[in-house]
Amino acid sequence: MTTTNDTDRGIDPRSPRFGAAITTVLLAVTIVLTLIPETWVAGIVLLAVIVALFAVGGIAGIRRHPYGALFRRVVRPRLAPPAELEAPEPPTFAQQVGLFVTAVALLLALLGVPYAAPIGAAVALVAAFLNAVFDVCIGCLLYVWLVRAGVFRPRRGVA
Amino acid sequence: MTVIVAVAVLAGVLALATVLGLLLRSRTGRAKPSTTSADGTASTVADLAPPTAFGTRATLVQFSTPTCARCPATARHLDSVAARHDGVTRLEIDLAEHPGLASRFNVLQTPRSCSSTVPGPFAPASEAHPAHPSSPQPSTPS
Repeated sequence: MTTTNDTDRGIDPRSPRFGAAITTVLLAVTIVLTLIPETWVAGIVLLAVIVALFAVGGIAGIRRHPYGALFRRVVRPRLAPPAELEAPEPPTFAQQVGLFVTAVALLLALLGVPYAAPIGAAVALVAAFLNAVFDVCIGCLLYVWLVRAGVFRPRRGVA
Repeated sequence: MTVIVAVAVLAGVLALATVLGLLLRSRTGRAKPSTTSADGTASTVADLAPPTAFGTRATLVQFSTPTCARCPATARHLDSVAARHDGVTRLEIDLAEHPGLASRFNVLQTPRSCSSTVPGPFAPASEAHPAHPSSPQPSTPS
């Protein structure tokens, strides 16, 4: 279970949203670049960068994400302290979801599947956009859907 | 594809995302009275935990998951509601441990809270947010 107000573990909840906003912009650019044949390669390179950033956040954890560092240095000093802290697990899960979607898109694009890059980027864009603009918690939605789809088995064997 | 068409596609994706966002926003934070489920049985909560876990007047049941960013804040909010009313407690159900309950209670996102009342005047539903409070049929833990 996630806990907050644990000052060594908690993160400012605005930091992942800041990161989601940057990601939204990068994914939007990726979609446009990969839809135009002349700029497709540039779009794929950008998609690969996005995949790498998601990998850092999803594997090393949201607190090691470069956007977090950027937030702490540039944005946070201009804001009031956060009302409460958030556990790092949900945003890290959201990064893992982003990693999965964009990595699959990149792979399929490199294998020559048409429109794999813009479609995958669009899926990831919707998620990042919802988080950045509407403060939608992807982990709040997706985990439950996966549970209902039977992807997770009960943790302690009690159904 | 030209630049203009590509940008138009992007605009379409963003418009779709905006519609989704507005839809999701309109669905959270509202109280709904519960309906009985399709087979006509009401959902009861009595079997979720030992009787001592339930309040004597009402229980605020909160469904959570491990990746739920809003759950701790909702837990604190519901705890403060429970503290203001005698005989009311909060009961936390982790869907990771009880996945079958997600469809039984039609949980689509977490946190999701509902109130289970013993018969009597108590209406916490409007205070519990940002989840969908709903009131299952009264169930008395035996």
